[in-house]
Amino acid sequence: MKSSLEGARGRRYIGVSELANQATTVLAEQGTVQGKGTVSDFPDERTVRYYLSEGLISPAVEKQGTASVFDYIHLLQLLAIKKLQSDHIPIRKIREIVGGSNERQLERLLFTGGEAGERNDARRYLESLLVRPSVSESRTSAARPRSPASPTEAYMSPPREAEVSAFASEGIAKWERVEVEPGLEMHIRSDYVLDSGQSSLSRIRNLIEKSLRLLILNQKQ
Amino acid sequence: MLKALPQIRFLMSRPELVADRDQNVTVLIRITPPEAESFSGKRPLLNLSLVLDRSGSMEGAKIQRAREAAAYCIDQMTAADRVSLVIFDDEIEVLVPSQFVENRSFIKAHVERIHARNSTALHSAWVQGGLEVSGHLNRDAINRIILVTDGLANVGLTNTDEIVSQAAGLHERGVSTSTIGIGDDFNEDLLIPMARSAGGNSWHVERTDDLQSIFATELQGLIAQFAHRVSLGLIPADGVRVVDLLNDFELTDTGRYKLPNLQSGTPLDIVVQLKVPAQTVGSRLRLLDLKLGFTGQESGQTEVVKDFLEVAFRSEADVLSLPINAEVDRVNAMLMNARARKEAVRHMDHGDRLGARRVLHERIAATRLACALEASAPEVVEELNSLGDLYSALESDRAGNSTRKRLAYGAFLRQQGKKK
Repeated sequence: MKSSLEGARGRRYIGVSELANQATTVLAEQGTVQGKGTVSDFPDERTVRYYLSEGLISPAVEKQGTASVFDYIHLLQLLAIKKLQSDHIPIRKIREIVGGSNERQLERLLFTGGEAGERNDARRYLESLLVRPSVSESRTSAARPRSPASPTEAYMSPPREAEVSAFASEGIAKWERVEVEPGLEMHIRSDYVLDSGQSSLSRIRNLIEKSLRLLILNQKQ
Repeated sequence: MLKALPQIRFLMSRPELVADRDQNVTVLIRITPPEAESFSGKRPLLNLSLVLDRSGSMEGAKIQRAREAAAYCIDQMTAADRVSLVIFDDEIEVLVPSQFVENRSFIKAHVERIHARNSTALHSAWVQGGLEVSGHLNRDAINRIILVTDGLANVGLTNTDEIVSQAAGLHERGVSTSTIGIGDDFNEDLLIPMARSAGGNSWHVERTDDLQSIFATELQGLIAQFAHRVSLGLIPADGVRVVDLLNDFELTDTGRYKLPNLQSGTPLDIVVQLKVPAQTVGSRLRLLDLKLGFTGQESGQTEVVKDFLEVAFRSEADVLSLPINAEVDRVNAMLMNARARKEAVRHMDHGDRLGARRVLHERIAATRLACALEASAPEVVEELNSLGDLYSALESDRAGNSTRKRLAYGAFLRQQGKKK
């Protein structure tokens, strides 16, 4: 991010849209993506006005006609907000952090020493843990009604309960993995409900059989 | 300045061996990392995430002491270090995102606002702490999560093996984990293996008031870290076999022993038992070759130190006339006691308190015998008192979680060469 911001110091942005555009350019260069579906990847004019009204961004330094004039620290504040949002920090906390930081502290927050912000191996590994179905027992999954027994279960190893972490509420799909036999697994999304009726079971069985036939056909080809 | 390397010493009960007989030989290998003064002594940068349990059971003195310990930790760090603070119950909150320790009062003000509530999403909180650290991963720093809890993981992923395996996976990618369990109700069978597999320390805080001193020990260890990714290769001579290594270190993929991180000023004692075939009087044999591999904290480079043990074989009368090195018998006894503690835990888990007591009783007697020449040495007195206390606790109905934890941590710390 440091390189993306080179030259931004000392520059002024006339109007909310110019500030939002500059932040969008920097974020796009960085490839910063918000995990939450409710949070936009890039700030638009309306979002910046909201941040201003909420006190997340300091008031403009001056007016030029009807347009507000912003400078480097406003850009840093806006980028810091997006960065902290991508770390799932609540908005009240972002207000405290961004509001209580000077230009240098904001730069450090954004530039972050070492391999900061880079998708290093450790970070990728941890992110994979957040979405990987795992052997676990969780209060949440225990509370969820399990699918009724089906004929196919006779061939399965005991179903393993999927990880349901505190991140489940943040829009990451949770999948339960059931090993049918070594090398063959079924994956079931947590919100999938299997109708217990015989016709439904037959339908699923047929679908699975069809998928397997297609797979075998493809392998032969 | 010459490159500072760990010193290796091989010690045996007597410096020479009796000829003309097969024998088991106990060898103490002492690895002494250089003192900080002998190299640049520059303290490594720290990139820490303090992951604090604030579940309901932490209410009262525990949460208060945890706040104080976190504040203490922040006070010990410099502006070039990074810290983040993650708190968890059934929800995870990044109270302080990873940042340089510049504005202490700002960070500590957040610490003061931690209050206890709800249940324990330990795994997710650990992951979040890891994300904070890895988001600013610095290969020149010590990147570590310090997980503090008094309870059982009961929300999210709770499978012990899987969490331990993940902690090991993260360590391979540059982030280590230390664990601190408070009181009697946490799961030591998770916290000890988690730290061991993740290149960190595991501490048991029996009295809440000790939390700050444990934090101090952990921080001192970090600051004094000389090397990490430490491994030991032992190559015996033809006909000689390594029959046991009393520290019970795990093995690497290449068959080397995984050693704990080396700290300046803290020797690491390792005891191996060798089966040595009969040799003729007057002969010499290079019994054992050693390769110590590690990544220097300061250099960041992988380094290898090689050494070997060569001994002479004499007549029995000649060998018996040599002075005894009581230290070897003492360290050997302490490591045997560590194993006995683990065995006592297994007996406890099967509801066999009598069996656990028997194991400890035997080790008290064996320690007295082995350490007869050093009976008044503080370490021997302390060890016998500790075993005696555990034996007494197992005699009464009060033997429970607390005794099990004291046994488990006593074994772990001894085998890893750590002291509280």
